Amino acid sequence: MKVFFAALLFAAIAAVGMSVLLNTIQQPSSVAFTTGGARVGDPGNNLVGPG
Amino acid sequence: MPSSLSTLRVSIPRALCAAIALLFVLAHPAAAQLSFKPTAESVHEDQLLNALKEGDKITGRISIPDAMAASLIQPAGREWRDFQRSKLPVIGGVAIIGMFALLLIFLLVRGRIRIYHGFAGAKILRFASFERFTHWLTASCFIVLALSGLNISFGRILILPLFGPQAFATLSAYAKLAHNYLAFPFMLGLLIMFLIWIKDNIPGKLDLEWLRQGGGILFKGQHPPSRRFNAGQKGIFWIVILGGALMSVSGWFLLFPYLPGNVTTLQLWSVIHAVIAMLFIAVMLAHIYIGSIGMEGAFDAMGTGEVDLNWAKEHHSLWVEEEQAKGQAPSGNAPRAVPAE
Repeated sequence: MKVFFAALLFAAIAAVGMSVLLNTIQQPSSVAFTTGGARVGDPGNNLVGPG
Repeated sequence: MPSSLSTLRVSIPRALCAAIALLFVLAHPAAAQLSFKPTAESVHEDQLLNALKEGDKITGRISIPDAMAASLIQPAGREWRDFQRSKLPVIGGVAIIGMFALLLIFLLVRGRIRIYHGFAGAKILRFASFERFTHWLTASCFIVLALSGLNISFGRILILPLFGPQAFATLSAYAKLAHNYLAFPFMLGLLIMFLIWIKDNIPGKLDLEWLRQGGGILFKGQHPPSRRFNAGQKGIFWIVILGGALMSVSGWFLLFPYLPGNVTTLQLWSVIHAVIAMLFIAVMLAHIYIGSIGMEGAFDAMGTGEVDLNWAKEHHSLWVEEEQAKGQAPSGNAPRAVPAE
């Protein structure tokens, strides 16, 4: 059972770690696709999600 | 004369407009096929969509550096939506419910596969800690990925009426987050499984004999010889590796939708992802069945890592001999119990 729970813990840590990493190295579309001539509005939660 | 002049003044611009319109129609064959003006106010969306042929697109001009945003309407998108809403749930339903039905029939007809000679009491190490860790890492991620993925196809039908829109929306949002991020440890698990088990999963002549005898699970007391993994397990291994690789590649494009380059390619990967997922889930149900309630003593392999010696001898006789020769297994004189059935 120790191995099983260790695997679950690792999966959770890896998932959270990837979310932090991707949020760090990626820009929101409203920032990435905004140019000097065109501003892209913040899509918020993309119509899905709490809030 | 004045009246003819004024008529001329009116008719020349009209003729010019007609000529320009004709030129426009001739220069754009796709537009020529449309029996109405796409820009007219009276045009309904259905008319417009029905008039568009395979490969047609209505595009706009954009000034942001996202080329995909220029595609406004394309028939392929409608076909993709129809596939997601009508055909995919049927494929998934048949595969998954069909597999459940097959397993139930198999259990009722064949019964649980017992250890023919009973438990020996002596144990042999089947999977080391790291192997079990890798298995459970991949398996636990797979279960969450499968459930959250099935929610996309079946949630609207099965969960929404039960919990209501608010709870379903919240559940789906968190399921989507879990699906997106647990995909990474799943892919890591797949890669490690491939590296640590590939050497024992190369198909050989022995596998043909195993298959010829139905794996020894169709008839009681029959146990074809097998090394560490038999042909059935090798089949599962390659389904997991190849299916998982397809799921990973297609999933990668869905995670990073700007990689495919256009919406049509993205939709193709989405279809591949969904169809493989349904089949993958169905096959894994069979794997879970045979590794738990379907076969006595099988779960210990991934539970504690140690299996009963008689179980190992019956299902992996050649592997037991190899382990005994290396001194890593109890001798062949392990006590044999009375046949269980």
